Amino acid sequence: MALLRLENITKRFGGLVAVDNVSLEVRQGELIAIVGPNGAGKTTLFNVVSGAFLPEEGKVFFEDRDITRLPTYKRAPLGLGRTFQIPRPFSSASVRENVAIGAMFGTQAGEVSVDESLEIADHYIERVALQDHRDKAAGTLTPVEKKLMEIARALAMKPKLLLMDEAMAGMNPKDIGDMVQLLVRLKEEEPSMSIIAMVEHIMRAVAGLAERVMVMHQGAKLVDAPTKEALTDPRVVEVYLGQPKGE
Amino acid sequence: MILNQLIGNLIQGLVLGAIYGMMTMGLSLIFGVLKVVNVGHGAFIMVGAFTSLYLFNGLGIVPILAIPVALIIGLALGFIFYYSAIRRLLNAPELATLLATFAMGVLLEETAKFIFGSEFRGYNWPVSKISLGVTVLPLTKLYACLGSIFIAVLLYFWFNKTRAGTAMRSVVEDSEGARVCGVNVQGVYALSFALGIGLTVTSGVLLTMFIPVGINPYMGGPYTLKAFVIAVLGGLASPYGAFFGGLIFGLLENGSYTIFAMLPHVEPFALTRFFSFLILLIILLIRPTGLLRTK
Amino acid sequence: MKGTFAKYSALIPVYVAYGIMLLIGSKMSGMWQLMAMLLFYCALGQAFNIFLGMTGYVDFGYVAFMGVGTYGMALGITRFAHFEGLGVGIVIIGYCLAVLMATLLSLAVGAVALRLRGAYFAIATIGVNEGFRYLIEGAKIWNGSEGMIFSGQLNKVFGREAASALSTFWADIFVLIIAAVAAFVTLHYMRSKIGYALTALREDEDAAKVMGINVTKYKIIAFITSAVFAGLLGASAWALKTPYVFPPEVFEIHYTVEAIIIVLLGGAGTLLGPVVGGLIYGISKYYLAIILPGFQLIIFAPIIIVIIVVFPEGTVGMLKKKVRGTSFERYIV
Repeated sequence: MALLRLENITKRFGGLVAVDNVSLEVRQGELIAIVGPNGAGKTTLFNVVSGAFLPEEGKVFFEDRDITRLPTYKRAPLGLGRTFQIPRPFSSASVRENVAIGAMFGTQAGEVSVDESLEIADHYIERVALQDHRDKAAGTLTPVEKKLMEIARALAMKPKLLLMDEAMAGMNPKDIGDMVQLLVRLKEEEPSMSIIAMVEHIMRAVAGLAERVMVMHQGAKLVDAPTKEALTDPRVVEVYLGQPKGE
Repeated sequence: MILNQLIGNLIQGLVLGAIYGMMTMGLSLIFGVLKVVNVGHGAFIMVGAFTSLYLFNGLGIVPILAIPVALIIGLALGFIFYYSAIRRLLNAPELATLLATFAMGVLLEETAKFIFGSEFRGYNWPVSKISLGVTVLPLTKLYACLGSIFIAVLLYFWFNKTRAGTAMRSVVEDSEGARVCGVNVQGVYALSFALGIGLTVTSGVLLTMFIPVGINPYMGGPYTLKAFVIAVLGGLASPYGAFFGGLIFGLLENGSYTIFAMLPHVEPFALTRFFSFLILLIILLIRPTGLLRTK
Repeated sequence: MKGTFAKYSALIPVYVAYGIMLLIGSKMSGMWQLMAMLLFYCALGQAFNIFLGMTGYVDFGYVAFMGVGTYGMALGITRFAHFEGLGVGIVIIGYCLAVLMATLLSLAVGAVALRLRGAYFAIATIGVNEGFRYLIEGAKIWNGSEGMIFSGQLNKVFGREAASALSTFWADIFVLIIAAVAAFVTLHYMRSKIGYALTALREDEDAAKVMGINVTKYKIIAFITSAVFAGLLGASAWALKTPYVFPPEVFEIHYTVEAIIIVLLGGAGTLLGPVVGGLIYGISKYYLAIILPGFQLIIFAPIIIVIIVVFPEGTVGMLKKKVRGTSFERYIV
């Protein structure tokens, strides 16, 4: 059984087709990289999966259950976690409280008390090395710290599938390197968790981690294959480099 | 005979509706461009009402000529409020502008009470009535209606034929895009807010041409509610929608009053006000973006 | 037990403040009126804060819940006064009716309005006041625009002396109790899942949904709670103190304005804020009334604007930042 299954998802905004007949399967424990330039439809696809948008056509299945029309807030307890490209912390609350919210309303909602959630939060805060900032207001963190907090918050939900919106546009090489390191650690420490990482460019490092790569172009799926194949596919090369070799 | 009465009612409703529509255009303009809901809307209408009252009673100036005066006062107030407060709140949570505009309204009302006292006033502009066959219309109401339509048409030309107006439209569509195209978005914000307030104050004058009594510092409240109903009816961000929404609302209000007046054991005036509120809730339930689709 | 103390120790400054007010009012001659008024404003602030402060939504029609509570008490007294031997019971019935009616109205309004986002919600609530008031007047419910007078029934049930004590003493004590309970409920919410959910939805409603929070449910909880306290307040401070109810008075928007001022001044979303705000506003109003009667709104309206622009966290909000990390932290909440 695939953890997440997208069947023929099409999303239109008026005349614009943002996502064009995209299908995808993600199995437990996989790391999938969705790659594509700005405007390729990646964020829209994420929004369909997380419930912010209703697709005009197609269905979304999570653990074989049709969640296409399920309200956003019901998806988290099922095991769907998400981080945002530009972090969205709850600014006036402390880092600890932010992460605790993840625990309180995630897959363990209803099973953990507020105090237990705060303990869980402490655990994940240490994992991302933010314990020195634990009681600070989340709004006062640097952008990178906010990103780490978002990840801790998403992890505290104990998700089965993590949607990581890491377009990394405009990040300097050091930050990109840190992010890749993070992905490496996540893969090691949470082997049963599936990750869909959304990135703008295919990077050697990410490619090395991901089992499969899906390349999107103008809303449609260009390629969906195991990493090595995807990277050497002529269509992908053409989209990214302009012309296939030999012309 | 009944048909005549019905048509007469219809006409009265449309005349009223034109004024209501004009009254709401400022609200829709401010929301469309700045995404700010002017909760103190009614207070600005009140300012216009007092303007025409004092110009007429004090200086004998006919309300039609009070219109440009009101417009200038409104523009001035708009700029003052924009630069002193609104500008800094554009990035704050929605709550901030809601409360700020609310407080502005309260400030205006209390200042008016301080200056003018809270009694109800009115004026009497002795012009004749004209007969439209099925109904009789005092000329003042006719002027008010025509004035509203005239201003609405002027606005149309403003938005479509002038640079400033087109700039406003572009900001409504996409403020980031407009900025990138070289539009002075900050300037557009200031001008739109001022213009919105100006329109609202002017509508106060037109309103007194229609109902020249009951002018007092707190008269704005019921009109705020009506304006919101109309704005939501016509689509909160569209001044044209507001105008047509006003027409519809005028018809509905007039019609409901007539019906309620025929029922025993009710106070038709109060019940009509409740009815407006009911319409608002229903529309918000079904289609908050407005009944009229602008393309 | 120790954990519970730590959790609720933030109530100490609040209760101390209320206690001091009670003391001053009862021991110093002539101060009861002022203290009662201050307690009323604190209670109003606490009640309103549960919604405005914790969700970040403004209910411009808030006073309607106070009005409805007043009617509840009025109905309880007038409809049940002729039952022999009920005595204090009719006051209890009045409170029950106030709570019931406030709950029903808040459910009706909330069901429609709370699914809407900020500005649309505010618009919907603007009309609640007017709408409900004109429904009562228009359909001539409960005597319509003539209102109800029930001083006679009160005298009959309690006897003149006791009825007078009710209006001049016990009504204010009830207000104090309401303020205390509202503070407790506020803190309880803050420390529980409800508080966390409300903070999240206030900061970023969409992100809150992604985290699994049913924002509508929590908005409704805060809304109804706030409405019920308003109803209780109306029943106590209005119906019991002045035994008549008159639609234009109990649906007067300026009480909503005062509630907004108090919560903003003190610090929206804080526990201590409404107390501080209530005290500042109440004392200012009292002394302004002597020097410049009728002026308080003209002075406070621009103050609201200044607060929103310059320090939206309010007095206690700023204080909280200063004590972060110190041992006072747990008392300034």
